[in-house]
Amino acid sequence: MWNYIAKRLLLILVVIFGVTLVSFSAMYLAPGDPAEVIAFARYGQDLSAEQIEAVREAEGLDAPVYIQYLNWLEHVLHLDFGKSVISSDDILEEILLRLPATAELALASLFLSLIIAIPAGVLSSLKQNSLLDNACVFTSLLGVSIPNFWLGLLLIWFFALTLRMLPSFGYGSLENLVLPALTLGTSMAAVTTRLTRSSMLEVLKQEYIVAARAKGLDERTILIRHALKNALLPVLTFAGMQLGYLLGGTVIVETIFAWPGLGKLLVDSIFARDFALVQGCVLFIAILFSLSNLAVDILYAVLDPRIRYDKHD
Amino acid sequence: MNQKLKLITLILMLLAVISASACIGGEEDGTAKGADSEVSSQELTVGISTDVNNWYLDKFPDGDGRFVWSQIYETLVRLDPDLNIIPGLAESWETPDDGKTWIFHLREGVSFHDGTPFDADAVVFSYSTQSYVTQAVLRPIESVEALDNHTVKFVLAKPMPLPFYLTHVAWPVMSPSSVDAEGNFISPAGTGPFKFESRVKDQEIIVSRNEEYWGEKPELEKVTFKVIPEASTRVMALETGEVDMIIKVPEYDVSRLESEDGIEVYRKLTTFTDFLQFNSEKAPFSDKAVRQSVAYAVDTEMITSEVLEGVGEAAKGRAFSPVMMYSNPDLETYSRDPEKARTLLSEAGWKDSDGEGIVEKDGDPLCVTLLVSKGVWASRHNPMAQAIQGELAEVGIDVEIKFLEGGAITQLENSGDFDIILRSGYFVWGSYPKHFFVHHSMSPYSHYRNASYDELVNAADMTADEEKQKELYYSLQDFVIEEVPAFYLVHEEKIVAVNSYVKGYTITSEDPWLNLEGVYLENE
Repeated sequence: MWNYIAKRLLLILVVIFGVTLVSFSAMYLAPGDPAEVIAFARYGQDLSAEQIEAVREAEGLDAPVYIQYLNWLEHVLHLDFGKSVISSDDILEEILLRLPATAELALASLFLSLIIAIPAGVLSSLKQNSLLDNACVFTSLLGVSIPNFWLGLLLIWFFALTLRMLPSFGYGSLENLVLPALTLGTSMAAVTTRLTRSSMLEVLKQEYIVAARAKGLDERTILIRHALKNALLPVLTFAGMQLGYLLGGTVIVETIFAWPGLGKLLVDSIFARDFALVQGCVLFIAILFSLSNLAVDILYAVLDPRIRYDKHD
Repeated sequence: MNQKLKLITLILMLLAVISASACIGGEEDGTAKGADSEVSSQELTVGISTDVNNWYLDKFPDGDGRFVWSQIYETLVRLDPDLNIIPGLAESWETPDDGKTWIFHLREGVSFHDGTPFDADAVVFSYSTQSYVTQAVLRPIESVEALDNHTVKFVLAKPMPLPFYLTHVAWPVMSPSSVDAEGNFISPAGTGPFKFESRVKDQEIIVSRNEEYWGEKPELEKVTFKVIPEASTRVMALETGEVDMIIKVPEYDVSRLESEDGIEVYRKLTTFTDFLQFNSEKAPFSDKAVRQSVAYAVDTEMITSEVLEGVGEAAKGRAFSPVMMYSNPDLETYSRDPEKARTLLSEAGWKDSDGEGIVEKDGDPLCVTLLVSKGVWASRHNPMAQAIQGELAEVGIDVEIKFLEGGAITQLENSGDFDIILRSGYFVWGSYPKHFFVHHSMSPYSHYRNASYDELVNAADMTADEEKQKELYYSLQDFVIEEVPAFYLVHEEKIVAVNSYVKGYTITSEDPWLNLEGVYLENE
């Protein structure tokens, strides 16, 4: 097992290298002159060609792109993420400042989605094609189809404006967390419900369930110990991927609820052509994504004794 | 056994989460009411869309940060709510040589928030080469010199009406003590009615009353700026009372808020005008007749009343708002006349010979691209662009809208690979019509080359004599109507909404500027 984890960690390094390389190239290939965009942010509208050239030289943008990338890489390997070219703020500080907000929202919405989705999925699989099942299918279809920006505003309108129960924006207290987590959680729950349902249906058809019934085990034991545990494996994979995606920041929900997360930081820095900041964000997001995937794989082995990674050595 | 233990732990965790969220539910009522009853003290909460990206004069303050700057920092010369020029930190000024040298007599007995006295050295410091603005708009400044403790002399490379240039909040006077011996920024120190208190990045900025303020002291003790990027959330936060005031109310919410009890909406024409800028350096818009036909085809009154829900004033081609200095009230503007547009096009050789609705010349159909930026104006420019597309189709011009981010637009601008750009602002601050520079051949944003236009702009900007200035700016307005380097669409309105317990607010035309003088909260 430890061997496996060590190997995976090494692989993550390769993945992260690849991701930063791709994101650097994408930024480079994006239309527009980065020196001009940066100069515009610093000096405002009345720009001269000399100022643009001065910025290009000062920020090392005149070097070939691979040199720029290698320079960046060298600094990162010395744990120096650099400073934002626009605000001069320390990039590591900027990211660490937003990480707690992002993590809080990601974990809360994941929890919320699982709490809704697993019982709903199990119930609808047990009463297949019943009214309850159809209601679940319909609701989850609705959940997938409603865009987050609309749901978010609707929730603010209902809970903050009409009921005056929750704050409409901000970050800090638990109350602030409820609406953004609900927005993200319900739309994720929709997909997870359907996944749980189909996975349960498949497992319930297996012969060992019939055997368990024949053995005379009570229905609850069959359901929870034998069926649900196995049915949850694909759900777990999906949830792990969702977590990785959520940790990357969710720019729309962050914008609507004025939530100071990583997603908005990343998108703003892309628009500003703040190369170092974009790279820093991408690096962190890639690490978080890879680690959450690794965590899922390890959990897999814990839950399913048939999976023992060491055997493949 | 082990399995059961795991299951029990899992269930316990779930229960914990559920009960935790139930607890939150219980507390919610109290806090929401708390936000409503904060009225008792003179503390104002304002919803803005972006955080302050920068506090120091080495960089341009972006976005709504300038509304916060306008509380903390002040300029030598100020504008009143109707954009008339009035003394600020300078009590008076004069030019001995028609605009090449300017002498400012500074107000005495003023000090910065950190106690440093405001004097001539502070002005020299603020407009030194350290300041970004001396590398941008104020590039013509050759030297700034303290004649005595309270007199400063600016020497310029060419004559220009410097006092107008010095009214903008983005290049105010800062204390030399804002930086340490190595030149590193410490904290904001201005002379304004409020002083910087604290900031939580991307969330809030708090300023408190400057008890030593030289002018009329504010009624408000504290102002909290809450950063709420989404306009709809900002509006709802005002309605719930979480914030007391919001700026930049979206057009579609204005009439609803106006009819709502407990909310006051303030509106005033600002200095900004949206415009369609033509690429006059290549066909088809190198032909004046084609540019004019667009001016006749686009109904700016309809755009204002329908697309922008009556917010703003139809410009009909007028380059700047009636609130601007030297705006000619009797200017002959365009009125919608599709017939005239078609005639102009056909006289220029563009005819619809195959009857498919698009005019052609030498076999090429009149297809043009319209660039719209994804920047701060997007929410208003996007629907405007679609309306324009529809109106131009009526006279046989096929418009393709390209919705792009700023960098991509600059690239197309540099390569000349576009026909029209929809824009707002550009060289707009205060009431002074510097904006005409946008179509000058020296401007990086110009797509129009005309030597007589350049001459007019140069002459107007180098004149300190008001009568002559007025004459020149009147001819520039006529020039833009006749030659149409750009077709001006809508004079924008500034909109500020407050809860009605906020009293004493006077809206100003100046933008970006938030005037909190005389504002107080009425206790109930």
